[in-house]
Amino acid sequence: MHKVKELENKWFNYKVKKILSPLIAISASSLLVVGGYYIYLSQEDKLHSLISSTVSSSTRATSVLGVSRDANNSINNLQKKEKVIEKIVDKKVLEEKIEEVKLEKKLEEPKILEKIALAPIIPVIDMAKEERIADVKRPRPVKVSRNTVAAKKNDYLTAKELAVVRRTQKREKVVPRKTKKMKFTSSDSNYFETMQHKFSKSNSPRDALLLAKVYYKKAEYVEAEKWALSANKLNNSLEESWLLFAKSKVKLGKKKEALKILVSYYKKSQSIKAKRLIGQIKTGKI
Amino acid sequence: MMSSNYDELKNIFVDVVDKSAYVELESATYNYDVLESSLDKPLKMVLLYGKPGTGKSMLLNKLYHNLKENREIHYFEAPILSEKEFLKSIYEGMSGQVIPERMRVNFDGLLKYCQKLKNQREIIFLLDECQLYSEPLMEKIRLLSDTRVVKFVITLHKTENEEVIAKEHFKTRIWEVIELCNANEYDLEVYIQKKVIKKGFVDVSNSIKKRDIKFIHTHTNGNFRETNKYLYTIFDIYDYYEKNEPKKISSNKFSRKILEMAAIRLGYINA
Ligand SMILES: Nc1ncnc2c1ncn2[C@@H]1O[C@H](COP(=O)(O)OP(=O)(O)O)[C@@H](O)[C@H]1O
Ligand SMILES: [Mg+2]
Repeated sequence: MHKVKELENKWFNYKVKKILSPLIAISASSLLVVGGYYIYLSQEDKLHSLISSTVSSSTRATSVLGVSRDANNSINNLQKKEKVIEKIVDKKVLEEKIEEVKLEKKLEEPKILEKIALAPIIPVIDMAKEERIADVKRPRPVKVSRNTVAAKKNDYLTAKELAVVRRTQKREKVVPRKTKKMKFTSSDSNYFETMQHKFSKSNSPRDALLLAKVYYKKAEYVEAEKWALSANKLNNSLEESWLLFAKSKVKLGKKKEALKILVSYYKKSQSIKAKRLIGQIKTGKI
Repeated sequence: MMSSNYDELKNIFVDVVDKSAYVELESATYNYDVLESSLDKPLKMVLLYGKPGTGKSMLLNKLYHNLKENREIHYFEAPILSEKEFLKSIYEGMSGQVIPERMRVNFDGLLKYCQKLKNQREIIFLLDECQLYSEPLMEKIRLLSDTRVVKFVITLHKTENEEVIAKEHFKTRIWEVIELCNANEYDLEVYIQKKVIKKGFVDVSNSIKKRDIKFIHTHTNGNFRETNKYLYTIFDIYDYYEKNEPKKISSNKFSRKILEMAAIRLGYINA
């Protein structure tokens, strides 16, 4: 029962993280605020020095030309120039920022591509075994000729026979109110039990796959995943077990895992179905 | 919390469909009433529709046990997937006769048999897990219901794809659709408390506070099956502590730590 111990450790780590993360967030944000303010201050300094230098040069120019103007005029001029300069400076800063963002994007794009291409192939399924079997060719389905269907005795109850059954029944006067709970003795009635029993005897991957399919249809994805995995363990060249396993994973919200598994399977098998499924998962169609 | 049988407590939340496990909830009671009264309407089929774990099987089971004494009603709790077996079971249910192993029921014959019973009898069949039936078999079920001698109440899991399929059916047939949803916080609280109290754990019920229910609801969305799984896991952990480290659990407070541990174990919380 060391499992609970393990769980307790996990819980402890979770708690520590939970308590620490707001602290980290606060310190990080305060750092950001202080840093941002500092940058703002230094930029303002630069701006001021820029403006003052241009202002002094323009006054110098007017004095060199010797053109006498009244004070008001020159002050107006200066203010206009200041505005233009401010605009220029603003534009420059903006352009720089745009450049930066573009650069960042450029840097990011190849990273994403790389990630997809080099997606770590760590499937949950036993891969060593998979590799060994991957080379072995899959058996081709045996073609059944239509002409060889054996004649079978007709064992349907015809309408006539049914009518006879009915008449005999009438004579017995079945009480309509009488009810009867169905007794299931056939193999189809308690499907899951029978199938699981059958599987426990046969250990056949087909049976496991069948169960996985039915569970998947029933929207019991945990069970579906389990049985698809069972099937895959017994025979991992069964394409459907891979697909179903991945599909169940997606339904259980484990999209990334599903993609990893499918990509690795696709690399080995070049299966069109796997490829299609990858596309469907990526576009959220499943 | 009472330091008694956690083993028994966890077993309260094993997933079973049984009439003795049914608890009255506002939503369940409302849905049940709609369901039962729909049987008296001139409908061919009644559909119980909803996500897995919303209590469809539970309602169907209750319906069967409530009506079996005074109506002709048959209950297929597990789907009968082979057409041969299915038709056989329908015929056997209607006729009270047992068909020999080597015989088959012919569908057209069955339809005629139904037609002859028109205005004489009305037989109800409850079919659970209908999403498992094949389309051709569903079509046969519909044809049988068209005779108005047999009426089907079926349950169907709601998934994105089936929603569309199901809607197509509704356009052409006379259906009553009862959609079941996950429980809200209030119903979830009643659900948990009634289940626990039913087995005599009143103290435990008192120790589970509103905030605990809120916490459970955020992780299970009020889905009954999910809630069962969660509470089973919680009491499973309690069980471990009681047997191995009893000092770690207190007797009057529902432990947030264990709630979180169970959530981690079930993957509700990433840790
Ligand atoms: N009204 C109810 N009373 C008691 N238990 C319920 C009720 N509704 C649902 N449950 C519990 O939830 C579980 C799942 O319900 P179920 O009827 O099997 O859902 P569905 O058939 O919709 O998948 C059941 O095993 C049962 O324990
Ligand atoms: Mg069900």
